[in-house]
Amino acid sequence: MRELSYMEALREAIQQAMEKDERVFLIGEDIGIYGGAFGVSAGLLEKFGPDRIIDTPISEAGIAGACVGSAVTGMRPIGEIQFSDFVVLAMEQLVMQGAKMRFMFGGKAELPFVIRLAGGSGTGAAAQHSQSLENWFVHVPGLKVVMPSSPYDAKGLLLSAIEENNPVMFFEHKLLYKTKGDVPEDMYTIPLGKSKVVREGKDLSVIATSIMVSRSIEAAEILLKEGIELEVIDPRTLKPLDEEPITASVKKTGKALIVHEAVKTGGFGGEISAVIMESDAFGYLDAPIRRLAGLDMPIPYNRTLEHHAVPQVEDIVEEARKLIKGVY
Amino acid sequence: MPKEIIMPKFGFTQEESEILEWLNEEGDKVEKGDPIAVVSTDKISMEVEAPETGILSGIRYQIGDLVPVTEIIAYILQPGEKLPETEKKTEKKSGESKKIIEKAGKSATPIAKKLIEEKSLDINDITGTGEKGKITKTDVEIFLAKKKGFTGKINATPAARRIGAEENVSLSEIVGSGPDSRIQAGDVHKKILSSTKTVTGSDIPIVRTIPLIGMRKTIAQNMQRSMQEAPHMTLQIDIPMDALEKMRKEINSEQGKKSERVSLTAFITKAVALSLKRNPILNSQYSEKEIKILGKIHVGIATALDDGLIVPVIHNADQKEVRLISKEINDLAERARNAKLKPEDLSNGTFTISNLGMFEIDRFTAIINPPQTAILAVGKMNRYLIPADNDILAIQKIISFNLSADHRVMDGAQAAKFLSDLKSIILEPKVLLK
Amino acid sequence: MAKVKIEEQLIGGEFGRKKAEDLLYKMVLTRTFEENALDMFARGKVHGTMHVSIGQEGIAAGAGPALNEGDYLLNTHRGHGHFLLWGGDLNRMMAEFLGKETGYCHGRGGSMHIADVDSNNLGAQGIVAGNLPISVGVGLSIKMRKTNQVVLTLFGDGAANEGAFHESLNMASIWNLPIIYLCENNQYAMSMAFERAFRIEQISDRASSYGMKGLTVDGNDVIAVHKAVREAAERARKGNGPTLIEAITYRYKGHSKSDRQLYRTREEVKKWMKKDPIKRFAKLLDVDEKMLKKIEEKAMEDIQKAVAFSEESPEPKISSIMEGIYA
Repeated sequence: MRELSYMEALREAIQQAMEKDERVFLIGEDIGIYGGAFGVSAGLLEKFGPDRIIDTPISEAGIAGACVGSAVTGMRPIGEIQFSDFVVLAMEQLVMQGAKMRFMFGGKAELPFVIRLAGGSGTGAAAQHSQSLENWFVHVPGLKVVMPSSPYDAKGLLLSAIEENNPVMFFEHKLLYKTKGDVPEDMYTIPLGKSKVVREGKDLSVIATSIMVSRSIEAAEILLKEGIELEVIDPRTLKPLDEEPITASVKKTGKALIVHEAVKTGGFGGEISAVIMESDAFGYLDAPIRRLAGLDMPIPYNRTLEHHAVPQVEDIVEEARKLIKGVY
Repeated sequence: MPKEIIMPKFGFTQEESEILEWLNEEGDKVEKGDPIAVVSTDKISMEVEAPETGILSGIRYQIGDLVPVTEIIAYILQPGEKLPETEKKTEKKSGESKKIIEKAGKSATPIAKKLIEEKSLDINDITGTGEKGKITKTDVEIFLAKKKGFTGKINATPAARRIGAEENVSLSEIVGSGPDSRIQAGDVHKKILSSTKTVTGSDIPIVRTIPLIGMRKTIAQNMQRSMQEAPHMTLQIDIPMDALEKMRKEINSEQGKKSERVSLTAFITKAVALSLKRNPILNSQYSEKEIKILGKIHVGIATALDDGLIVPVIHNADQKEVRLISKEINDLAERARNAKLKPEDLSNGTFTISNLGMFEIDRFTAIINPPQTAILAVGKMNRYLIPADNDILAIQKIISFNLSADHRVMDGAQAAKFLSDLKSIILEPKVLLK
Repeated sequence: MAKVKIEEQLIGGEFGRKKAEDLLYKMVLTRTFEENALDMFARGKVHGTMHVSIGQEGIAAGAGPALNEGDYLLNTHRGHGHFLLWGGDLNRMMAEFLGKETGYCHGRGGSMHIADVDSNNLGAQGIVAGNLPISVGVGLSIKMRKTNQVVLTLFGDGAANEGAFHESLNMASIWNLPIIYLCENNQYAMSMAFERAFRIEQISDRASSYGMKGLTVDGNDVIAVHKAVREAAERARKGNGPTLIEAITYRYKGHSKSDRQLYRTREEVKKWMKKDPIKRFAKLLDVDEKMLKKIEEKAMEDIQKAVAFSEESPEPKISSIMEGIYA
């Protein structure tokens, strides 16, 4: 099995989808000759030409609108938002139009578009270029929200998102682009709306998204030496959420820790927490559900502060230990 | 500046001391180093010295008070100095709580007291499980956990509640090990394991239940109380019965009627009574304040019934002839079997003999029958090959006598003497015919 | 008052007689529909609010017929007329108005979101300028599929100041998209008068900022509107890119039902009523007042039929509440 980086895996997904279906095209800022701000679309312009790899002016509303309009008239666009933070400029088109047209028009109209966004902190890009905004879109009916955590998942999930006949917000993480992993060459898909138990364990259920998945696995390795077994679950699709593997795990371990980079208050952790509490796993909880998430603050520039503003491996280890030891 | 006199900590784990004595009074002039009070820790009494020369003032605690270590118990004032302002207020407070505690006659550890005050509880409501019924912190916590209306609901995890509901275990008796005394699933599991009741849903079938009422209940309560309260010391002696048996045989061969024959039990009873006469400490009653040596010797003979045990009493066994004793024993046994015993038959026993020899028991330990202070367990007569006085092996008939004695009342030597006297009497049995 | 370049009226130059009569009827139908809608609203029969285009019927009458079947429509919130003139079914429209299951959007959209995706009517728009970025997507799609379609994108003077206007027209221009941007300048964006919101005299002046063709026409002149839109469509189909047409008109009623209209005078309204598009077109067809009255009566009949149809139609079932969100 050959190894690809997360970025290369995404590129391969786009390329294979575009080769298979001429309705698929990529539109965004600096994606043509520049190859995309994070290199995802490098080489695609040469392969598919400027009619299908479309550079745009700095017009996020225009990019989003282009996706909405072309999707509703038979195309399958992939829009790229260079930094996920810039999605605010496209909110009207995504939330008002793309998410709602089908419903408002009485279940007619299909909006098969994907918006890819590069989010997350750790590159010193500071407050306006480092956010994790996925939960805003979880809150909008009509959209689907996906967060791949590995190269394998990135390719499989993106191919599924492109095939999906609804708008998908596809949140990639900047620090993951260069990470490597086994990626099959064929056009495999990972179904949307399916959580995955990425590591089994009996002592604590850790539900993590995006870059927190690999950090949780690292923490699990450390804790295994202390005789503590973490079970790590990656929802992969935040909306629609596949609840069953999560609640089954909590029933088994009796304890849950949710880890995500986005700010804790109003973050997805609250949603998962409530889902667990409302499920039949409630009767098996032997400790409060804990959330480990970004501090309630804009991401700071200073490297050390930036590091401490979001959960790191050592934070996950610490929090897990506390839960196991009955501090909470 | 008023000098504080604090209750010193004499031991590492010591939390409090009791004031046994004030050697000085309020207003006395004392020298630095003078002993001014005597306090006791767990086992020993210690003196508290004056830290300075001056006038002993502001005594805050009285004799009998349990004072937490490092608490201020009094002050040394210099002439013209006044007590600190706060003294007047705090004096009242400690006096009040002292009163409450004194009134109730209940004591509690300092931490427990603090918690009681904090939560505005009535100390009378709380059961103490510490030494002498002292209330500990855990006791207060259990009380709080039970008292739903006060603290609201029980603090327990969902898992603990589910297990409690499934296994029919009440959470109110459990003190949790989680934060804030939260009951965790593990706590409930522990409770289930340690529970002596048969838990519903157990897969061992119950074929019969015996209600714990009446005689059974009385025996249960008495025996439990006896074991819990009296420290049982057991001594054992093997006594050769040949001489006594020979004498008995001779007496009985002269008897025509079978009913007139003297049983071995009667002889043993008489022998026990005589030994008690020589060792009155075993013929006594225990009370918290004093040990009562009793003037009469009434020996009870434990008798097994179908569904229980009663102890008819041979009154004044030391004074009755052995023949009479034997008759009485038979009569009582008969009436016991026919449930025709009267209250006076069972009352006022001062010592008990229990015999399981007829059940093939070689030796056993009996439980003292309160308020008595000793009990003699008699085993089966067995034949052993033992060296006689002349070192030649001979078959001897041996009965094993086991004495259980209350160590609060007597010590080993006293109990031993009773048994060795018993042995002497049985070895020279003629004295039993008197 | 904005200065308006009035195009020469080509008398009958755009329409055959039959087509013209049909257009007149539809204009009257639109107005009658909206007056009736106002009445129903006043009687509490309609939920929410509505935005009537009474006085602006000329634009819809001129633009609609200028397009081919299969072309796309991106409408505004004030789009009942455009809908009807696009060939919309009166019954289904009325039913949607009343929120019924038989409406175009099964009662889910209401007045502001009426769409008929099957006829490439991509819906009325609740967000001012919200349809402008979408037009870019539609235009791209047409280009990529290499069809001969165009997309008529309607918006008001207020939308021209939204950021999306700028992004969309720029993108339409740089990519040469087959879009007709038709601005219905009715002098007011709710209460904001044109003179207060713009330093320029004509919105069509902005076209040059994007290198796009722009022109202003008398929106109450059906012929003029028709000519402009027809030419723009031809331009687009030839691959010569988008056009910005500004049609000057006036709305007689308030922005919506709750508008107290404190921002203008009755005199102003009356002045514009003299330039009424229906009257002018009727005159062009030699239709006198008596004949016009008959047409109005016929329109009213049809509308009452539609009302009856709608009132008898069922409400959506509550059990179907979550349907139609995802494909």
